[in-house]
Amino acid sequence: MRIPKLTIPLIVIASLFGGYFLRSAFTQPTTTVAYDQKSGAKATFIVDGVKCKGTAAFFTSLYDSIPGIIGIETFAGEHKAVFTYDPERISRDSIRTIMEAPIPFDDGTSEQIFKCLSVE
Amino acid sequence: MAIPRTRYYRYAIFTIILGLVTYLAFGYGSRSFEAYCPFGGAESLWGLFTAGEFTCALGPLNLSLMLALLVLVLISKKTFCGWACPIGFLSELGGRLGGLLWKKRPRVTPKANGWLKLFRYAVLIVALYFTFRTGELILRGYDPFYLIFSGFGHGSAGIISLVVLALLAIGTLVVPMMFCRYLCPMGAVFDPFSRLGVIKIMRNETTCTNCGSCSKACVQDIPVQQLRVIRHRDCTNCLECLDACPEKDTLQLRAGL
Repeated sequence: MRIPKLTIPLIVIASLFGGYFLRSAFTQPTTTVAYDQKSGAKATFIVDGVKCKGTAAFFTSLYDSIPGIIGIETFAGEHKAVFTYDPERISRDSIRTIMEAPIPFDDGTSEQIFKCLSVE
Repeated sequence: MAIPRTRYYRYAIFTIILGLVTYLAFGYGSRSFEAYCPFGGAESLWGLFTAGEFTCALGPLNLSLMLALLVLVLISKKTFCGWACPIGFLSELGGRLGGLLWKKRPRVTPKANGWLKLFRYAVLIVALYFTFRTGELILRGYDPFYLIFSGFGHGSAGIISLVVLALLAIGTLVVPMMFCRYLCPMGAVFDPFSRLGVIKIMRNETTCTNCGSCSKACVQDIPVQQLRVIRHRDCTNCLECLDACPEKDTLQLRAGL
């Protein structure tokens, strides 16, 4: 069967859009940390600085000993961190303050590594 | 010589995609430009199967784009490479620039061409092995897509990356589509599926005058005039050969097994 030339760009564009819209079918976290098994409130933070598995792991380590944090899932490709937390023990603002706090280095200096761009 | 109309369409799509990637590379948009690299889908497979997590900076879009493009390859061969890949576009432009610079460009013999193409399988194996083993995108420092659009960002290997990119640029001027032909790991992933592509170019042997215009126009150096059905794994359905053919309807785009 003969195919018009214009078919080619159309199927290229269709496949790119198809791939883009199919992404939600494969959503998996970059890192998953569960500090507790109980359920809690959810908050999604878009965080500048969460860009790969290493930075995501460092990011979650900031909350290792913070009371009220039940679990964290990070999505590096979308610079996203989803917190499950106990709202009676910690607030969204406190979660944000922790991530945006300057990180101290061995040489005595400190630097802000993560910056919250939005909260849902 | 007039530029064929199909090339305008192709370059328009290429330019839009190159523009989008550049826009993302400057930090606009909700995702990094790396999230749109289909080869990331292949690199993420091991992490997904073993830990249910994406590797390094990869995400669901890498995987969904790779799967969508595999379907595209089964429908229409490596059309992505010839119509949408930013590196394919830059390689083609480099090859055309090289054609203007060289009066008589050295040609890679078909035998050497065949051997050199094995490098892309080596690149694929090395990229997957080290990514699976370390959980890091280990070839970032040598990947032209990453180096160009990140501006030699995190993971680049300084002067070595610069030398690699310079060699690739010079190589593309000498051997058209050098990266795509010999080094692209995504091309290696597509290879086994590309031969099965349903939409392909067919040559009518009775009306063909064997003038060789089609082979000369092919950016992938495929000997189109010697083939009846272009099942070649490197064919991107760019349609340059169709536009170059002086005999009406001798080369046709057809769907069939």
